[in-house]
Amino acid sequence: MITANENQSWVTAHADVALTGANVAWLNQQRQSALTQFEKVGLPGVRDEDWRYTNLRALKSNEYAFSSASALTIELAETTNPRLVFVDGHLDIAASTGLSDSVTSLKDSLELVAPYFGSTLPKEPHGFTSLNTAYAHDGYVVHLKLGQVLDGVLEVVFVSQSADAVSHTRNLIITEANTQCTIVERHIGAHGTVYLNNVITEIIAGDNAHIDHYKIQQESDDAFHMGGIFINQSASSQVKNHNIALSGLVTRNDIYTNMLGQGAHMEMNGLVVGQGRQHIDNHTEVNHAVPNCTSDEYYKTVLDDHSRSVFRGRIIVAKDAQLTNADQQNNNLLLSKDAEADCKPQLEIYADDVKCSHGATVGQLDPVSLFYLKSRGINAESANALLTFAFANEVIDRIKVDSVRQELTQILAGELLSGLEELV
Amino acid sequence: MLKVTNLHATVGGKSILNGITLEVKPGEIHAIMGPNGSGKSTLANVIAGRDGYEVTQGSIEYLGKDLMQLEPEERACEGIFLAFQYPVEIPGVSNMAMLKAAMNSMRKYHGQEEIKAGEFLKLIRQKADLVEMKHEFLKRAVNEGFSGGEKKRNEILQMAMLEPKLALLDETDSGLDIDALKIVSHGVNALRSPERAMVLVTHYQRLLDYIVPDYVHVLANGKIIKSGDKSLALELEAKGYSWIDGMDDTAAAVQQAS
Repeated sequence: MITANENQSWVTAHADVALTGANVAWLNQQRQSALTQFEKVGLPGVRDEDWRYTNLRALKSNEYAFSSASALTIELAETTNPRLVFVDGHLDIAASTGLSDSVTSLKDSLELVAPYFGSTLPKEPHGFTSLNTAYAHDGYVVHLKLGQVLDGVLEVVFVSQSADAVSHTRNLIITEANTQCTIVERHIGAHGTVYLNNVITEIIAGDNAHIDHYKIQQESDDAFHMGGIFINQSASSQVKNHNIALSGLVTRNDIYTNMLGQGAHMEMNGLVVGQGRQHIDNHTEVNHAVPNCTSDEYYKTVLDDHSRSVFRGRIIVAKDAQLTNADQQNNNLLLSKDAEADCKPQLEIYADDVKCSHGATVGQLDPVSLFYLKSRGINAESANALLTFAFANEVIDRIKVDSVRQELTQILAGELLSGLEELV
Repeated sequence: MLKVTNLHATVGGKSILNGITLEVKPGEIHAIMGPNGSGKSTLANVIAGRDGYEVTQGSIEYLGKDLMQLEPEERACEGIFLAFQYPVEIPGVSNMAMLKAAMNSMRKYHGQEEIKAGEFLKLIRQKADLVEMKHEFLKRAVNEGFSGGEKKRNEILQMAMLEPKLALLDETDSGLDIDALKIVSHGVNALRSPERAMVLVTHYQRLLDYIVPDYVHVLANGKIIKSGDKSLALELEAKGYSWIDGMDDTAAAVQQAS
């Protein structure tokens, strides 16, 4: 159980930090109400229904502090894409390329984001979301004006390298009508380092905006990752989120979309690969508030060793949201008897002319497929690896951007196809 | 090469094979015929090492080794190949990836170097041509979305790549139209050699018009009740399986006993 004191310590630990935009009235107001909310709800615990499968004892047993800006110590792979680099929550301008009128940092864009900041958040946010609002330090902002297309792929890398550091990062993707962008967020960390990465991305999708958003989580194996992706969709907007979680000790993602204009489409693809004692919790919510919207959700999990996953997929279809078409799939593959997958589809349908489907499976590799491969001389270990890779790669195969798909296939092959990487 | 002696096997407690004795020498083609449920496919699957079958009596000797001591993948590496009656679809694994993994796994088993990428590509294209398979099929997921005929051709392609010593073809003709049957048979015939033995499991004589066997065995109730040359298959076609049952006291006895 969390005591009031424990929660208070999070506030006092941040008390003497120089806040971004300390003199900006609207931001201070939001921060104040976020702190009030945090004092009310505190950090989540297993008694909260939405956190009952996710134990935060390890996270809470450690203390975290803001880290000052430091030079990047991790070598990043070469890229031809424009790339922003944040180190422990601070934008590393020297390591970044691609800053422009459309791609800026939160610190430099407070005026621009004022009408949008916090507009996508749930009404009763949990403690990590409130802390993020209260202490948001920096983040990236993409702002596309009417008809603007952001060429190529924008990469944003969040590097955590200082021990016991906390980053409260707030990103905003604000798109006007008929815009288009592809953004890849990567979260990586120094091996063996304990830290807390608390990051929220708000997406405001204008009419007919096409947004392809990727989140690739490869944190340190000892790290805590608390993530939120909150989306408001206007009419005919097409948003795709690909949520790939490959490491970290405890990961939580809340991915919520509000469909506020007719004809909107949301695609949520998720892949979890858990090993060791990793714990990955994905909470998704698709809120069909208006008629004629579609959503397609496809989450897969591969768990080995003692790893655990949680999938909560909520679909809400409001009373007036007729002709909604919503699909949700969650398939879990358990490779070890000590692994555990908890999945909880939740459909709340208040309209009567809708098509909603969902399916959830938890199982092992198909013995007939395994025998087929073995009967071709493939040893048991390789047969297992091939089928596991194939299972997981179906999520990656849904990625339309060639360069991203190919890279993720290679990353996945590295994780699951040890010694057979050249096969893909 | 293969010596099956008094083989008894059960599936889920039900006895399927009731004393099979069969010897196959290099270069020979044996056809195993019989009505549905006679145990034909079980025999092929037990030799390949499929799970779920329990051998309760008898033995299988292959190249002087006790086959029951080997895992399915070891049997494959020792040269046994099973063409499946129902080839398995494996989404996400391409034909090329599977065959490359298979060839390299076998090479490793024999202490050989991995096959070079160029050499592999040349080989697989050549073998695809043998079964008249378009090269784009090689990049597609194993059997996924393939028609019945394409799946069977794919089995023969795999066999051609892996060059087994003993090929077991389990109802390879089922579900094939006449054109596909000709292509598959052509592929199989091209692989006939004095070193390679084949066991064809089939319900119909039709396949044997194209792949001519040296021996034909008739299976009923898990036992070989009659053996002969290719003329036996023609006789079966003309008179039906009941003809054998009627002729053969052993079969009648087995049927009564079961």
